[in-house]
Amino acid sequence: MATRKNWQIGRDMTYPYEAAPPKRQVAYIFDTNKCIACQTCTVACKTCWTSGKGEEHIFWNNVESRPYGGYPQRWDLSIFKKTGPAVWKGDTLRSSTIFEGNGPLDPPRGWRPEAADYAAPNLGEDDIAGIVDKGHHLVGESPMWMFYLARICNHCDNPACAASCPRKAIYKRDDDGIVLIDQERCRGYQECVKACPYKKTFYNIINRAAEKCVGCFPRVEEGLQSLCVEGCIGKIRFHGFRTSQGEPRADNPFDFLIRIKKLALPLYPQHGTGPNVFYIPPIHVPDAYLEQLFGPGVAEAKKLYRAAKDDKQVLGALLLFGSTDKMVDKFEVKGEEAIGYGLDGKEVVRVPFTEAHVVRNALDERHNAYRVNTP
Amino acid sequence: MSNQNESSAPATSTAPSADSTAIGRRGFLFRLGAAGLGAAVLTDRALAELQQLNAVAIDSPLAGYPNRGWEKVYRDLYKSDSTFTLLCAPNDTHNCLLTAYVKNGVVTRLGPTWKYSEATDLDGTKTSRRWDPRACQKGLAMVRKFYGDRRVKRPMGRKGFVDWVNAGFPRDPKTGAVDPKYLQRGKDPWVPLTWDQATEFAAKALHNIAVTYNGDAGKAKLLAQGYDPLMVEATQGAGVQVLKFRGGMPALGMARVMAHYRLANSMALVDAKLRGLGPDKALGARGWDNYTWHTDLPPGHPMVTGVQTNEFDLATTEYAGHVVVWGMNWITTKMPDGHWLTEARLKGAKITVIACEYSATCNKADEAIIVRPGTTPALALGVAQVLIAKKLYDVEFVKSSTDLPLLVRLDNGQMLRASEVFKDYKLADLKNFIKVLGEGENPPPPFQHQGAQVTAAQRAAWGDHVVWNAAKKEPVAINRDQVGDHWKKLGVDPQLEGEVEVTLADGTKVKCRTVFDVTKQMLDASYTPEQVEKLTWAPKAAIESLAQSIAANKTKTLFACGMGPNQFFNNDLKDRSIFLVAALTNNVGHKGGNVGSYAGNYRWGYLSGVPQYIAEDPFNLELDPAKPAKVKQYFKPESAHYWNHGDTILRYGKGVLTGKTHMPTPTKSILVSNSNSLIGNVKGHYSVVADVLPKQEFIGVSDWWWTASCEYADIVFAVDSWAEFKIPDMTISVTNPFLYVFPTTPIPRIHDTRQDIEVSAGIGRALGRLVDEPKMAEVWSFVDEHKARPYLQRILNGSADARGYKFADIEKKAEGGAPSLLLSRTYPKYGSFEQTQESKPWFTKTGRLEFYREEAEFRDAGEAVVVHREPIDSTWYEPNVIVAAPHPLLKPKTPADYGADQAALDGDSRQARNIIKTVDEVIASKHPLLAEGYNLIFHTPKYRHGAHTTPTDLDIVATWFGPFGDMHRSDKRAPFVGEAYVDMHPLDARALGIEDGDYVWIDADPHDRPFHNWKDNPEFYKVARLQARARHYPGTPRGVTRMWHNMYGATIGSVKGTEVNPTGLAKNPETGFQSHFRTGSHQSATRGWLKPTWMTDSLFVKNITGGVMRQGFVPDVHCPTGAPREAMVKITKKEDGGLGGQKLWRAAANGLRPGYECEELKTILAGGYAKKE
Repeated sequence: MATRKNWQIGRDMTYPYEAAPPKRQVAYIFDTNKCIACQTCTVACKTCWTSGKGEEHIFWNNVESRPYGGYPQRWDLSIFKKTGPAVWKGDTLRSSTIFEGNGPLDPPRGWRPEAADYAAPNLGEDDIAGIVDKGHHLVGESPMWMFYLARICNHCDNPACAASCPRKAIYKRDDDGIVLIDQERCRGYQECVKACPYKKTFYNIINRAAEKCVGCFPRVEEGLQSLCVEGCIGKIRFHGFRTSQGEPRADNPFDFLIRIKKLALPLYPQHGTGPNVFYIPPIHVPDAYLEQLFGPGVAEAKKLYRAAKDDKQVLGALLLFGSTDKMVDKFEVKGEEAIGYGLDGKEVVRVPFTEAHVVRNALDERHNAYRVNTP
Repeated sequence: MSNQNESSAPATSTAPSADSTAIGRRGFLFRLGAAGLGAAVLTDRALAELQQLNAVAIDSPLAGYPNRGWEKVYRDLYKSDSTFTLLCAPNDTHNCLLTAYVKNGVVTRLGPTWKYSEATDLDGTKTSRRWDPRACQKGLAMVRKFYGDRRVKRPMGRKGFVDWVNAGFPRDPKTGAVDPKYLQRGKDPWVPLTWDQATEFAAKALHNIAVTYNGDAGKAKLLAQGYDPLMVEATQGAGVQVLKFRGGMPALGMARVMAHYRLANSMALVDAKLRGLGPDKALGARGWDNYTWHTDLPPGHPMVTGVQTNEFDLATTEYAGHVVVWGMNWITTKMPDGHWLTEARLKGAKITVIACEYSATCNKADEAIIVRPGTTPALALGVAQVLIAKKLYDVEFVKSSTDLPLLVRLDNGQMLRASEVFKDYKLADLKNFIKVLGEGENPPPPFQHQGAQVTAAQRAAWGDHVVWNAAKKEPVAINRDQVGDHWKKLGVDPQLEGEVEVTLADGTKVKCRTVFDVTKQMLDASYTPEQVEKLTWAPKAAIESLAQSIAANKTKTLFACGMGPNQFFNNDLKDRSIFLVAALTNNVGHKGGNVGSYAGNYRWGYLSGVPQYIAEDPFNLELDPAKPAKVKQYFKPESAHYWNHGDTILRYGKGVLTGKTHMPTPTKSILVSNSNSLIGNVKGHYSVVADVLPKQEFIGVSDWWWTASCEYADIVFAVDSWAEFKIPDMTISVTNPFLYVFPTTPIPRIHDTRQDIEVSAGIGRALGRLVDEPKMAEVWSFVDEHKARPYLQRILNGSADARGYKFADIEKKAEGGAPSLLLSRTYPKYGSFEQTQESKPWFTKTGRLEFYREEAEFRDAGEAVVVHREPIDSTWYEPNVIVAAPHPLLKPKTPADYGADQAALDGDSRQARNIIKTVDEVIASKHPLLAEGYNLIFHTPKYRHGAHTTPTDLDIVATWFGPFGDMHRSDKRAPFVGEAYVDMHPLDARALGIEDGDYVWIDADPHDRPFHNWKDNPEFYKVARLQARARHYPGTPRGVTRMWHNMYGATIGSVKGTEVNPTGLAKNPETGFQSHFRTGSHQSATRGWLKPTWMTDSLFVKNITGGVMRQGFVPDVHCPTGAPREAMVKITKKEDGGLGGQKLWRAAANGLRPGYECEELKTILAGGYAKKE
């Protein structure tokens, strides 16, 4: 067992393998306050990657309503039987990750869903915590709430899938930190399905192999954001590289929002996998629920989000979400615009804080027409 | 990853077991695609060899991997050979240009074009990157529809219809009726037709029907068949008048879908031949409405503003301080524009949601109010009461821009006119944004209209109005020009409150009060927050804080209203009252402060040159493509709601409540394109099928997907999908600023299809041959050779907001993935801009926003002053009563006035029944069916998984539609891989013994639903009675149930499928039609309704295009809308939800459902899985 640094839990932890962080690490930020659960991401992913036989029930990307949704069913609940609650002291996790406290040859603690758990992928859609009744007047945070949680593979720093694979068929690419299952080498033991706390590896009964989100690596190799991000019409998603070796950069929007501002938080950091999809927590949901999912930084992140309107740097970074299909490495705010620069340093996107408002002349002499707003 | 062989082909199949019969061309393509992909993906053999790999040494999979060559598999899967652009435009207002990725000639996936930020106009106005991407899951899923097994692959004829044609159209000689043996729609088998046969048969049927009902003999037959004499008279003895044509949401296809109206117009040529008349006497056919038919029109908008609808591009939330999302589920129905709302919030705008449930949009709101369904008029009036009582209103806007300071006569309830007061008063010579036409003068073309175009007679009928000068205590004439700044310049401060006595020119004295004053009296007596709380459930504090918040955001509050309140019978009152709130707070016509109503993509008026195409004079065709057409409209528009109302008008006692200008004719033939809403998902669908369709002699439907409308057609014309257009087309949007072209596409047609315009042209040409009229072919001269482009260019040239564009230019842009910008006055565009920002009058008699309706129909309905009426069905109280304390101007005609039985409370009687009750009397009254257990309000909103029904029956859409999706259909009762369900408050469900996931029966008013006399037709009742799963849903208040609108209902064929298909799939074994219901549909509980104030002959409104003012019926502007959100139902358990009808549904049994939580779920809900030391 190796010891690895895990900044998300504020301490070192044990993991079966040792390695330096990849040269670059893909990271995603999902703003839950903007997610509309349209599933465009789901279908963008499905129609490109998993439209084959044996994959009918497989959705590498899904959006679920919390608190009652989950695909596969109870994906995050059953692990708690084995781990118990997360215990935090400040930003430091005091309880064990799924890699810790096991026997020396044991895989990470996990469980395997039944086939039927992959049915009803939108179970719990729009179901709310609490019960609404006549004349409820809800203001701000209230006991009645739900929100949407979009999920893909987390391309973890410490992937549980890779840790569990008896064939060593799962690996993390040094170029970008994307985690892949070698489709030639996998023999379908499904240990990864059992180990992944996010249940984002899937068993294909026709191929008899496990498969998972490939991070759209053919796009990443071209400097493009993944299909689920490119197709996100809620503009909740941002996909690029965070700094994996060295200090976080204030001009890198991922480092800025994740490490410096701590506005975007990892999902279930207590499992120790070091997930690389980061969530801006929903500001209308009570902290007690959210801290279970996103760790101890929830209250601060919500506060920051509410104040974003007065913080041009944060607002600028957030308005770049969904404004380009290319990866953004660097950003700046100039006047009333936010500008993003690509991996090659060239400008790839520029957005105004407020969309222009243009008034045309009533008489267009050139075309002998009177323009109207109510024709 | 995707498996080798056929797996990665564009999936044509949906349910795994459903497609055993799919062979032929589709199967060929399937294999072709698969074979091509074989090169890109590993073969079985290669895989077998690779599995003999030796073990490799990997120290750490995080540090490196020796064999990365396999990654090519995914790179190849991702790669495409080529791309092209297509436009996805279901009726959801967005219109997304999508990139199609092609591999081996087959579209394998779709994605956003990312070119909306390259939209420009003729002057270089540019959009920003904030517009991209635009798409949705329904659009991206459509690859499965292009190649799907429910494509209409060739023209199809219903056997009974074909037999009728071949038998020479036999009829009962006396009545003209057709033997029912030829009319077994939904049951008959189908026969494939050639295109020549299909158009020939349709033409012959139209011809035969027109001949049958021509002249006095024709009228006699219609009377013998039992049609209303007024409707028969409306045919004027022209057989072509019983032929109904409809392009379904024609704005979505300016040339293609609109083509049916052009065909309807050309029917005048047929009439001329058949009745031997000249162009001066000939009549065209009838064209059915759209926006109103879909209940999308907010009918009170024209009552207040004079125009069809006031609205704003959703991007104008950029400028708002407060967005009131009122009965609109924005984030589920306006998905590509959801980000404007969430970004406005991010930037500091307050979001308030008003809904009758915890709607999805509530999770993006800062404040939500859960109200009783159908009580919006009362809620808005409550807010208005607070605004006035607490003097929070904007006095200047009220005085300068509304009719509130104008005087009303208390003696006759009409607005006081200057000519009554001032001796020899001369009407003002109006000049502000108006053109008064001289005798015999025609208005200029629409692109040269500056404001209202009115005749001298209309102008005289409007008169000038009167205010009371508070300082001098005297009446002052005020004219229509004097709005906004023009009013301010007058220097008259009109009195708002109190009664005055005005001495008329003839010396008589009349008591008058301002509209403000009579409105205030109504509000103070009947709509205080305390009273409104009783009616709406909204707490007094919520009403007051809403009023405060709106008043604190004058010019910066957007009212985004949706279909929720619009689909209730009191929808015009809802608009009038919401506008009252907006007008009181100066929130009309500002870029961040305005009123909008959102449903349907309707406003083809943005391309006001459309008459150049649909109303080209067929007798005088312009055959030079470079020249404009000569316009003469022969077809007569009509509301389809009368057809939906049993093909009858509204009569009550001795009263006829359908205005003369609205009068429909009997419906004997229907030709419709691009529409499942007309038949398949029509309000009261089963009543239409059982009670109305048997009276129709021909139904032709054009579609590219076999919908429930196709199930009941006589001929189904197979048309192109959006992926295979060979003729371009054009559309606009009411929610975004773009002008769109549907580009032609490079892939060959997948089946034997034609475009909609070619269907219309084919039928027209065939008719021309039948009646020997060569002009019928010339009508379609530009279709084949020029691919309709001259028509599209003529439309652009004739349009106020598009003139100047060359079609070829915008077509090229669209091919590259970018739309163009509409040339409206502002970008983004919003209604009432000219009025509020430039002091132009609204298109009303007074030129102001009007809150008092003086016309007789409104006074007779008790709605001269805005009031609240209870919903007509969805209420626990007495339906449709006027809720008000006594008021001097509230004098509706009573049942006795009409000679009707006041006690009669059946659905038909309720429509025109005027009974006044106070709030407390209403609360004490009861819906007539309450005692029989019909005690649950059942509403049917639209949702994120469908644009109407498009494309909810694709597997990857359906399986996400709610909690009952299952790609493997392990429960064989499931109609599909997803299924319909009713949301019930958990306590309501438990009280009825219904567990989460159980199947239930849902029954509405047995007098007329699911169809009349259902007891006599048990066979069809089995098809029509609604059953579905029940979901315990904690987001809906007690007593309120909900079922989504977007799912395909059961048909005779789909129910047969549940019985004969080996897996029980609710799929018509013959047609492939796929239902989401085992039996019935949400439309089992709805019906057609007619409200008198929707059908007046007196209301002045602006025409649908241009500035021409018209009185009475105008299609899609002033005509019935129906009330499809209304139903009171009884719900009873049918069977258990568990597998095979045994025990609990699995998700509930496993503790994952509200009210059934397992330990872990309880713990996480309580926050027990994170602890702090």
